[in-house]
Amino acid sequence: MEPNVEAVQPQFRSGISGAKIVFDDIRGLIPDPPETDGTSFTALLELPPPQAVELLVKEDFPAKTMPLPIFPSNIALIDRASMFSVFASADNPPDRTNIFSASSSVKQEPLESEYHRNSSSPAVSDQSLKSIKRKEREKKNMQVKESTKKSKKVVANEASDGSGEQLPYVHVRARRGQATDSHSLAERARREKINARMKLLQDLVPGCNKISGTAMVLDEIINHVQALQRQVEFLSMRVAAVNPRIDFNFDALLAVDSESSIDNSYLGLFPPSIWPEGQTNGSRQQQPWLIDGLHLPSMGRVDNSSNFITPENSLLSYDSPANSASLHSSQLKIEL
Amino acid sequence: MKARSSLEREFLEKWRKGLQIGKEDSTILERKDAIKLSADVAIAATKNAATHWRRALLCDVVSENPTNKHVVEHILGHKFKNTATRLTACSRRILRISQKRRQKAAPRRVVPKSRKRNRSRALRMLVPGGEEMDGVLLLQETLDYIVSLRAQVDVMRCLASIG
Repeated sequence: MEPNVEAVQPQFRSGISGAKIVFDDIRGLIPDPPETDGTSFTALLELPPPQAVELLVKEDFPAKTMPLPIFPSNIALIDRASMFSVFASADNPPDRTNIFSASSSVKQEPLESEYHRNSSSPAVSDQSLKSIKRKEREKKNMQVKESTKKSKKVVANEASDGSGEQLPYVHVRARRGQATDSHSLAERARREKINARMKLLQDLVPGCNKISGTAMVLDEIINHVQALQRQVEFLSMRVAAVNPRIDFNFDALLAVDSESSIDNSYLGLFPPSIWPEGQTNGSRQQQPWLIDGLHLPSMGRVDNSSNFITPENSLLSYDSPANSASLHSSQLKIEL
Repeated sequence: MKARSSLEREFLEKWRKGLQIGKEDSTILERKDAIKLSADVAIAATKNAATHWRRALLCDVVSENPTNKHVVEHILGHKFKNTATRLTACSRRILRISQKRRQKAAPRRVVPKSRKRNRSRALRMLVPGGEEMDGVLLLQETLDYIVSLRAQVDVMRCLASIG
């Protein structure tokens, strides 16, 4: 296997040398499991595949000067990223091809294992890499016999380590019964790319899983982006309204963060009249909102304390008896 | 317990940096604009401003009001070059024509094309720098953009609720 790889590799060395440097650096950067709030979306997108793709596609990136983004330790995700990277590279040089039968079967494994994070993913990535190598070997044998089917060669990067950070290129061939015209192959690759990304977006945007059809999903995505942008506007207005001095609150926030035992989403202040729409509330059901009036009595109860930080802590912790009333009302609100 | 991701931490730090250099503004609208500006620049400066939308956002911020450049450079930590990062109208037209030619190769008829075109156009307008991206890149950038927006909103919400 190795000799074949070496023979093919020199053609593409100039193209992928930059990428190789990048990925060597990446390997050194594998962090601990990302500190997310437990949803698979954010784990998935701590560093999304697009970053990996971009790093590959833009070969003129100053890979040395640019500090690299932190990659998640989600092996399956990186595997998918490597799939995409082959797609990405398919556009540029005309003699490269895309992945079909090999990757379509390989893709199933990473797709399913996306949501099983640590333990299963290394096994899956190893499996998928092994299956890629097996298919490469098959292809090598078959290629001599079948000359009618077109196949584009992509460099196989061996020596994948356990983390799966390296980029497994795949030797593939067009599927049986499909047009082998170079244009339609490229088109198909492009469609595959787009579909893969749409799937990721579907997973990210809440409520898109049930919708079938890319058009509706796009609608949801657009709605979501609009909602988020509007939220930024309103939140910045809120932050401006809350305190006259801008940097005053940051110290409080950082101090509260350092306590790190507080869920301060339950006592949020905001005027209900300007909150945008139900969709955002539906997507954040674990963070219901209270009205202004509830906040004031609790402030009155704790203002005898001198330190600024501790009232905040008592306001925001569940256990404080002074806030049982406000917590009661918050619970009522939740049920509503 | 709220665990902050690295993205959120980075955003918070940079936002704070940006707000430090803001002067004392009297009206609430001025303050809101300064806050929003710092927040947008901060979220665009995360992960070393690598993606298209980040660069486009920074360019927009700077071209909208040249005084914003100070904020941008303070947060980024280095000089921000505004040169040739956004296409001119002419080059944009050329880009779109070449994209159209590429897409004509395989016609599909799942949804009427006009509606899909409208949607992608709407998405392009939403994502900063979207006009110059083709279909694949647009979806990629949207993905990253949504993640960053979410982080921004989460952090801002916490800050707003504390005060």
